Amino acid sequence: MSSSSTSALSLNPLTSRAIHKRNYPSNLTICRPSSSPTKICCSQNQQQSNLSVLRFTLGIPGLDESYLPRYIGYGFGALLALNHFLGSDSSSITSAQLRMEALGLSLASFSAVVPFLGRFLKGASPTTQKSIHEEGVEQIFAMSKDIAPGLREDLAWGTYVLLRNTNSISVLISVEDALCVRGYWSVPKDMPKESIPDRFRKQTQRIGLSELKDGMYLQQSADSELKEMVPAGTRSLLVQPIREARQFSSSHTETRKGFILLASGIDYAFTEKDRAWIASIANKFSGIVLSSYS
Amino acid sequence: MDAGILQRFVVPLNPPRQRHVSRPSRIRVSLNSQGDYGGPKPTRELLAEWVSKNDDFVRSLPIYVGGASLAAVLLNRAVSGIAPVADASSSQSRADLLALGMAVTNILNGLVWLSIRPKTISVVDPNGVDCRRIYHGLPEFVTSELLWAWESISNVTCCRSLIVVYDGICILQIGFADVLQPNGDEPMGVDADKLIQGSLYKGVMRSGSQSYLANLSLYPGKTELPFLPSNTQAAILQPLGEKGMAIVGGDTIRGFTTSDQAWITLIAEKLDATLAKAVNKTQVTVEEKS
Repeated sequence: MSSSSTSALSLNPLTSRAIHKRNYPSNLTICRPSSSPTKICCSQNQQQSNLSVLRFTLGIPGLDESYLPRYIGYGFGALLALNHFLGSDSSSITSAQLRMEALGLSLASFSAVVPFLGRFLKGASPTTQKSIHEEGVEQIFAMSKDIAPGLREDLAWGTYVLLRNTNSISVLISVEDALCVRGYWSVPKDMPKESIPDRFRKQTQRIGLSELKDGMYLQQSADSELKEMVPAGTRSLLVQPIREARQFSSSHTETRKGFILLASGIDYAFTEKDRAWIASIANKFSGIVLSSYS
Repeated sequence: MDAGILQRFVVPLNPPRQRHVSRPSRIRVSLNSQGDYGGPKPTRELLAEWVSKNDDFVRSLPIYVGGASLAAVLLNRAVSGIAPVADASSSQSRADLLALGMAVTNILNGLVWLSIRPKTISVVDPNGVDCRRIYHGLPEFVTSELLWAWESISNVTCCRSLIVVYDGICILQIGFADVLQPNGDEPMGVDADKLIQGSLYKGVMRSGSQSYLANLSLYPGKTELPFLPSNTQAAILQPLGEKGMAIVGGDTIRGFTTSDQAWITLIAEKLDATLAKAVNKTQVTVEEKS
């Protein structure tokens, strides 16, 4: 009815078409997993290189050809040892043969290490996911109560995006008083939905995750105090602090507003680029002025 | 992983302030200084960093090792006076053959690594001027979200220009832009109406999904994007729901990876939701006023 020129926004007058409402599930929902072991689908293959070359493959499903040197190293090394002990009398082993065996063993150990080195080269693809099927591990999505709707939507979207686009299987975002968990976490079976955020808040406060100044990236599986929260198959962890820089303070201190915790089922799950994106998601929450959500 | 054990060091861990870790810790104290943090501390992955830095050398390392071993096998035979005949009759020959087999495996592996080395493509600096135009009258939360999207995308990907057109209006033009007049300083504006009439916009809206122009110079539709710097190498056209489009210009051919594309898609969905909410609010305000 009114013309667009009177409105402050000055956008074209809207048609009566319904605006498509984004359906980020922001209610408290908990899904019980099926009884069969769940294979977690990871994000798409993050290839940085454009592979237009034919790669050698034996065609055996499930055999990763990049590990072939390791298998060959083990096999031939075992054969060398066999040859040494059974192939000839121990008295008649010449020094030439001993030299050869020493060379063979060092080659075998080098071959075994080669696939490990290959993972860190540019263009290497991540290994397959480990499936998590333990008792007490459930896929949950819970958020603290009494959060402004705008922040609720942001938390729902942030957790969704992190789960979908990185190799993580569980995510926890804590911003000031609000806390949101999503993904596979180990919670006691009969815990009511409402008390889950509080439980996580207590655990993270005990460990002191919000006190971290810089991010922390545990790349391989480690015994950790976080075992109670994360599922047992977790191998890498990333903690990204959410900072709020105070521009008006003379000392330019940074206060810590919260953190993002990500857990994944594979080693070396988060590449440099992944971590940069995770930092930018953290920036989204750091710029939030909670009062602006109304 | 077995080889991962190479990484672990057994170093007595200094007990943190709050908790005393009494078990034999296999984690080395990290470089971060945490005041009150009592949780696990990460190791410095030295091997991983070294490999990433010396990528070329590591790729050809197996070839050198294999080649050197081959030469060593033959040399050994020559020096010890055994005829260089490859038969498996004596244990010496068998050991030689096994070593040869492993050397060849290493050489082949090195060749495979060299063949899949990603080509480094150089960055082309866009020639244009810096530009920062945001539509006035947008609510604060929309502006901050738009600026956050720009900062994220430009920091992580090779993006150097970002244009957001929504509901027939250019809401955001930020980054590098072509100049209005040659030798001038004024960045060229975005003619939103013309863009919307063009085939690029219509095609993207019809398909409803992202369009990645990996090498923009090969694309004839480039003329519909005159506001981008003339030497923009790659562009992503991302629809924002049904009412808008975001144009992301990059400085490297095929510079956006699949993960970048996925992130840009999800960020665009968020922007669409935010903008729709803002427009919805305005409609309500406008209706209340009238």
